[in-house]
Amino acid sequence: MKKDRYFSTFQIILLALFAALVVVAKIALRLPLQLSGHSGIFWMAIVITAAGVVPKPGAASLVGVTSGLIAAFLGLGDFGMLNTFLSYTAVGLGTDLALLLLCDRENLLVTTLAAVLGHLGKFLVKWGLGTLTGAPVGFIALGLAKAFAGYVVFGALGGLLGGLTLKALRKAGFFAYLAEKR
Amino acid sequence: MTKGRIILIIGIIILIGGLVIGIDLLRRRAQESSIPPGSVPIYVDGKLVAAFTPDDLEQLEKVSFVDAEEGKTQEGWMLRDVLLLHIAKADLSSETRITVSSSSRDKSVQVTWAEVRDADNMVMFDLANKGTLKLVSKLERLDVRDEWVQDVDKIEVNAP
Repeated sequence: MKKDRYFSTFQIILLALFAALVVVAKIALRLPLQLSGHSGIFWMAIVITAAGVVPKPGAASLVGVTSGLIAAFLGLGDFGMLNTFLSYTAVGLGTDLALLLLCDRENLLVTTLAAVLGHLGKFLVKWGLGTLTGAPVGFIALGLAKAFAGYVVFGALGGLLGGLTLKALRKAGFFAYLAEKR
Repeated sequence: MTKGRIILIIGIIILIGGLVIGIDLLRRRAQESSIPPGSVPIYVDGKLVAAFTPDDLEQLEKVSFVDAEEGKTQEGWMLRDVLLLHIAKADLSSETRITVSSSSRDKSVQVTWAEVRDADNMVMFDLANKGTLKLVSKLERLDVRDEWVQDVDKIEVNAP
């Protein structure tokens, strides 16, 4: 008897592509802002889009884990492989947790809040590891409240961007195309 | 139902913020007697004389230059200005050795006051995107990424 897999091969390929896109965005898209968490605009937009395109619990986490592995092996981040891997993974886990609670993955308020929570996962990892190891984490120097606000704002903007992307994809008939592929 | 869950998520976000800031506040209070977290201590001949924070840097004039290796603009504050905030000019001679180090990177660089004082050398701190200080310069031994000292967390000044 054939056992049904949770994610289809097509969905796994899609999520892997989104994971690669997260890493590429992190490397290639740089905003000249001296603010903590500003990369969340692109980062969270991609994760939210991935979770909308593959609307299953765990999709964002899979993107997080995969992008974390890619980023860690590419040497991204300044605090070592573990920090990089956990940061990326926490983004996925946080987003999934929020989406699990909020259900509607295309509602702009939901995508915004899910992205904020996902982005705060990364903030928590960086802050937690910084506190434990005593490493000079940037946002400690800049002020924790300011950094927290930065993560919330940029995560929200990313979530909004991701939600708008999902709406645009639906309008363009992308989801109907995906349904055929599945 | 959804409204309740949205409020729950907002509550979680506020709770995370409150917990993190609260824990940090407690840690800061516990460490008040020593160096404030996130600040860079300055030692003169082994004795702690100051620890500068971003607040100190805000009162300084910002400078910038384009590095030769990557063509990127390095913007921040001159090491000279940071030191003069805490050390009298008379206590620094041309041969005074200044060691800037990063414990997390296991990197350090030693420069003389003469080199630091010369504005053409642009021995300065660039504020990295993640908020830590990076020592960069136009000096030949400090002009490429591998030679820069990222995540600076200590400055030592030693008389010749």
